[in-house]
Amino acid sequence: MSGRTQSLIWLAIGTIVLIALPLVVKSSFAIDIFIRILLFSFIGVAWNLMGGYAKQLSLGHAAYFGLGAYTSTILQINFGISPWIGMIAGGVVAMLASLPIGWLCFRLRGPYFTIATIATAQALMLIFLKFRDLAWGAEGTTIPNLGSAPLMMQFETKSSYYYVALGLLALGLAITYLIERSWMGYYLVAIGEDEDAAEAIGVNAPRIKRDIYLISSFLTALAGTFYTQYIYFIDPATAFSFNISIEAALVSIVGGIGTLWGPVIGTILLETTSTLLQSWLGSSIGGVQLTVYSLILMAVILWRPTGLMGMMSEAWQRFSRKPARA
Amino acid sequence: MLETVAQAVINGLLIGGIYALVSIGVTLIFGVVKIVNFAQGEFVMIGMYISFFLANQFGVDPLLSLFVSMPVLFVIGVLVQHFLISRVLGPNDMPQIFLTFALSLLLLNLALMLFSANYRTVHTSYSDEAFHIGGLYIPVAKLIAFVVAMVLSGALWLFLHATDLGKAMRAAAQNRDVATLMGINPNRVFCVALGIALALAGAAGSLLMPFYSAYPFVGQVFVLMAFVAVVLGTLGNVIGALVASLMMGVAESLGIQFVGADSGLIVVFAMLLLTLAFKPTGLGGGRAR
Repeated sequence: MSGRTQSLIWLAIGTIVLIALPLVVKSSFAIDIFIRILLFSFIGVAWNLMGGYAKQLSLGHAAYFGLGAYTSTILQINFGISPWIGMIAGGVVAMLASLPIGWLCFRLRGPYFTIATIATAQALMLIFLKFRDLAWGAEGTTIPNLGSAPLMMQFETKSSYYYVALGLLALGLAITYLIERSWMGYYLVAIGEDEDAAEAIGVNAPRIKRDIYLISSFLTALAGTFYTQYIYFIDPATAFSFNISIEAALVSIVGGIGTLWGPVIGTILLETTSTLLQSWLGSSIGGVQLTVYSLILMAVILWRPTGLMGMMSEAWQRFSRKPARA
Repeated sequence: MLETVAQAVINGLLIGGIYALVSIGVTLIFGVVKIVNFAQGEFVMIGMYISFFLANQFGVDPLLSLFVSMPVLFVIGVLVQHFLISRVLGPNDMPQIFLTFALSLLLLNLALMLFSANYRTVHTSYSDEAFHIGGLYIPVAKLIAFVVAMVLSGALWLFLHATDLGKAMRAAAQNRDVATLMGINPNRVFCVALGIALALAGAAGSLLMPFYSAYPFVGQVFVLMAFVAVVLGTLGNVIGALVASLMMGVAESLGIQFVGADSGLIVVFAMLLLTLAFKPTGLGGGRAR
């Protein structure tokens, strides 16, 4: 059996399991965790396209998450437009915003690129804090609950949200898969390895970086719309939360930076850890979750910079080599 | 009007001295070790908590606790360099950026767990004292902080220019390989650089304590300022960072006076983004490496 057929079979099994999961698991607590895993995997996948493959280490993806959330909510509450349309509109707004932000930030490299992205996301949060007429200022607003209104992205059961999140993740993974195997994927990896060398052999680095930033910000904005619809609430501190930017980068690095499945694996590990911690300690003590996240991140950086994906492929190689040695 | 401007400038210069201590640390680490320390603000926070506990438990004046916070943070700096940063020095950006970033997250959230998010203040006999010169108002605690900050900056400049170790540090900053060939041990130089940078952050923390509250997130205010000042003042340049920090302090203070009380951060971001847009190369040589 060729490797390709084998992975197709695994993919089919995985898809069936994921589709059947809400039919078997009825606990809404568990479904909520699954939705979080799917959503943050998707945000990680969006970050990974730019941060992982092209190594443009952004810590400002909350900017696009927030723009997506605010665009669809403003359209819904002020103009009665369905969040499904608002979601796409939010993606377009995010893409438009990524052009000037990218123009500014891509002038810098390495750590200073990272700092500049943090600053742009924070600046957007400050703008929305002041933005009272259209966007409710610092208090934020709740999304009117219409009961069961699938056309307005509101569902009675959590499992419907689960399927939306699953669809988003599938979209993100499919786009990553296609880009990974296209000329663009090779250009991205070349830029990530050594930007000057890539330019020397004719890669138009500024254009490639701009294009991947467009895609990455579009996808991140979709997550923002979904999240707001899911929690029925929006304010600048949640929508532009620095924690969103951190988690997007963290799940990718812990799982395996610049790999298709890395963000998914990383999210599963981090979200499971955080759920276990919460059930042991309760949510009364602030800071526990991020303390543990930062310890995991440090451990990965110091001992396994290739992340869990790297560890798994090493283990697989050792395992599959054994019979030959015996 | 003129008096209001003068008062705002004085306020800005006084707080700018504290920003300078933080940014000089960032720029020193960047110049010598070629790494951006995202955790620099958290070391200011640690300095503040050291002073807070010494004042609270033993009644030590925050300015005297400088003699505790600086050595303690020097040692922490050496340990951080020796056990953490030395392991990620290489051509790859990701581990370098995210190691100090993870350290910042860790320290911040440990502080949140241990000390809760409450604001801690120390009240000293001079906390409310001020000089009145003409119509101008100069708080004593801030003036002391500014003077000590300038003395420490001057001492660092002397150290870098007049001692062998300081010269070795500048040599390592200019060209690590050649410096190594000349017999300079880069690891030792890096450890001392981290130690000095963190000691300055600790000093900033102790100097702040008589007039500023300690809380787990306090460092983030200062580290953002420092990053902007370091970019403005040319990366790795100590004098540049000092001058830029004073400018940032004045700009922020004028922003608060004339735009609105919560506009301090907006001014900072605006300055950063304008710098990036119009003068990225002149300030950082184009590529921040």
